[in-house]
Amino acid sequence: MDYKENELFTVEGMTDEELFAHVDHNDLESEKITAPRYSYWKSVFRVFFSKKVNWFVLGLLVLIIAFTYIYPAISSYDRFENITNAAAKHLTPNKAIKLFGFNIHNILGRGSAGQSTFDAVWYGSRISISLALICAAINMTIGILLGAVWGYSKKFDLFMTEVYNIVGNVPYVLLIAVLVLVLSPSFWTMVFALTVTGWIAIAYFIRTQVIIIRDRDYNLASRCLGTPITRIATKNILPFMTSVIVTYLAMEIPSYISYEVFLSYIGMGLSDMSLGKLIFEAESAMVTPGWGFEFWSPVVIASIITITLYVSGQNLGDASDPRTHM
Amino acid sequence: MAKYLIRRLLHGLVSVVIVVAIVMLLIYSLMDRQLIFATDNVYRNLGNNAQTVYKYQKWEEYGYIDYVPYTEWLQQLAKNGEIDEETRSAAASIGKKSKNDSEATKKYVAKFTKYYKDKGYKVVRLKAIMVYKKKYATGGQQALFAWKDKPLLGRLGNYFKGLVRIDTVSYVKDEIENRGLTFTTRDPVYGGKKFSPAIIGNGTQHKYLLYCNNQFPYLHQNVISINLGKSYTVNTGVDVFTTMTTTQGTYVMRDVLYPSGHAEKSADDLHTATYVPNSLENNASLSARFTDNYTNVITVKNGKSKIGYSFTIGIIATLLAYLIGIPVGVVMAQKKDKLVDKIGILYIIFIMAVPSLAYIFLFKAIGGKLGLPTTFNMDSKNKLMYALPIISLALPSIGGLMRWLRRYMIDQMNSDYVKFARSGGLSEHEIFSKHIAKNAVIPIVHGVPGSILFAMTGAIITERVYVVPGAGNLLTQAINMYDNGVIVGVTLFYALLSVIAIIMGDVLMSLVDPRISFTSKAR
Repeated sequence: MDYKENELFTVEGMTDEELFAHVDHNDLESEKITAPRYSYWKSVFRVFFSKKVNWFVLGLLVLIIAFTYIYPAISSYDRFENITNAAAKHLTPNKAIKLFGFNIHNILGRGSAGQSTFDAVWYGSRISISLALICAAINMTIGILLGAVWGYSKKFDLFMTEVYNIVGNVPYVLLIAVLVLVLSPSFWTMVFALTVTGWIAIAYFIRTQVIIIRDRDYNLASRCLGTPITRIATKNILPFMTSVIVTYLAMEIPSYISYEVFLSYIGMGLSDMSLGKLIFEAESAMVTPGWGFEFWSPVVIASIITITLYVSGQNLGDASDPRTHM
Repeated sequence: MAKYLIRRLLHGLVSVVIVVAIVMLLIYSLMDRQLIFATDNVYRNLGNNAQTVYKYQKWEEYGYIDYVPYTEWLQQLAKNGEIDEETRSAAASIGKKSKNDSEATKKYVAKFTKYYKDKGYKVVRLKAIMVYKKKYATGGQQALFAWKDKPLLGRLGNYFKGLVRIDTVSYVKDEIENRGLTFTTRDPVYGGKKFSPAIIGNGTQHKYLLYCNNQFPYLHQNVISINLGKSYTVNTGVDVFTTMTTTQGTYVMRDVLYPSGHAEKSADDLHTATYVPNSLENNASLSARFTDNYTNVITVKNGKSKIGYSFTIGIIATLLAYLIGIPVGVVMAQKKDKLVDKIGILYIIFIMAVPSLAYIFLFKAIGGKLGLPTTFNMDSKNKLMYALPIISLALPSIGGLMRWLRRYMIDQMNSDYVKFARSGGLSEHEIFSKHIAKNAVIPIVHGVPGSILFAMTGAIITERVYVVPGAGNLLTQAINMYDNGVIVGVTLFYALLSVIAIIMGDVLMSLVDPRISFTSKAR
């Protein structure tokens, strides 16, 4: 790789002393096989940060996380602080700034109860992003572990495939609706409802990947040489799957946010003011002239959040594929 | 192959049964039954014992429990001739408290209690609630009844037993003359003059078992009917399958000649007449039109059915998605890392990452600005109202197809056989169209039957946003209204579709790719 960058010397007019230096013979050195040091994660980050767009996306991600987790902690938000003030309701940013003065709360206008749309959106995204992160963590952990066993054990495969066929046919909306009805629509109920069968699709995906890699020749050789299964799993199979897993994770997290929005929209979501619930409650404002801001701001910010998470995850997934490290 | 398919189908059917069982367990056993009264004003306005009795009655209606009031049991005994009318009325009035019962009542209450306790029922006796000595509190009347949870297995068995019903001449329980089938070449619905063969039954549930009309498929039957489950609240008393397949909209009035000779403009479709016991004698307007008890008819409306709307929108969207998604995906793979590819990837990211609700609203806003109708109206002749729902359904599928086809194509491009073909001197066009594309579409083909079949179920958000009267909202509507019959019926419908879709996908895949075989043993 390096030789391409070095320019050619002009050797004309140079003496032998200038061109060559004497090296002593060393028995010890000649026995060593030297290769460039390769660290997997260092290479991942080298490749990831070599793209300019990733710096931008990562910056955006940091900004979003700061706004979702730090901003609500330092700014106080009361949804009903202006409930009695009829003049403070449904304001465009311009009018809100005129009425309340310019500060960060007013840059997206005011909503149906006179609340700051900007604050509402970040309080909502804190709930939505937390939900997505927790659900993704639970589903991915269970899914990967079970998927690995599912792919490796043929007996378990027969059993799990039947389970997959059955669970996959239970309408997801129905399952969530019943669980929410049984257990009241709180945050942890939603986590439970989204994870109780959510892992099975991931496990199935991992199973297919494991089956593809499982019977490759190098694994066969490894098995013949007597490598224990745990070592095969951690050293032979897992590194192959890292990029696949990261790519999948990149799709999972935004999908939970989308799903939460969807569930809220059909009236089966959380009781907290999540992003989905905000969109659901402001839907009527979409068609009312002048009220558009309170509907489109949560929609646009939800989209920015999901796109940022998706792109950063995808690019990290690309970077964690060892084939891109050369 | 056939043997394998039958085995797969049987496997699939078993899992469908299990799915229905799980759903029944979820809604009948796990869900809080009290919730169905959350928005019930009748329940809220009742007090004391009347409220409790109403609760159990509703639960029976919704299929949760078996509920037998004491008076009903006595009536049954009287009907069977075990007790006479006098004893019945003497035993029927129960006291305010159990110790106030008369001798006759005591005897039958004890019998009732023993009879139902032995059958595993719980017998409930509610004491009268009094304001003062002679005045009942509102709804404070005493009550006696027995109830039992319906067992899951029995419920499941009954459900699948009643799924397909074949109409026979012994359907009607009342005593009627001339039970049997008649074949006619002159259908009386058309005045008996025009040639139109029909089979008319007497004693069957449907009057017309086989008839012809001018609508596709021209020959219709009523012998075999599918019952997915009766609706309680969404479309009270009507089967889910009928709810999904009957036409909607405004009535189509045309000249109808009733069996009695009465002719008027009406929307009634006489071919759908079903038997309703004693309907003729109790109803003057019916007896002016009909000559027998086949009086329950379905009306003709100008719109499509729920499935009809969903399927029309879904199938066009699916076709568009394949017609656009596949060529674009191929071009993106060919021009990898060029401008076309980059624009395509931006689009895919947009579709994959943005919540579907957000972009559907975006399409709605843009479409509205362009002057397309943003809400669906069944009476309107304007075909443009289909445009936005179709676009909203097609654009995400296009994104998905582009993404996967590009991925598969690029994977194929790096494989050895492509390098070999190139070294053999084949043109790039030949390599792409004859070799790579053929291999890359195989996984795509697997999803084709699924996307066609699931066009029928409709899309929840799209239909809600554009107010399409399709089938997509049926499940959410049923869940919101606690309509257990509809929930189970829709679940069964979805599960059957997905089982069929997967099998058909496998078959189609093995047709496209001769290397895939389901008969030979796995290597």
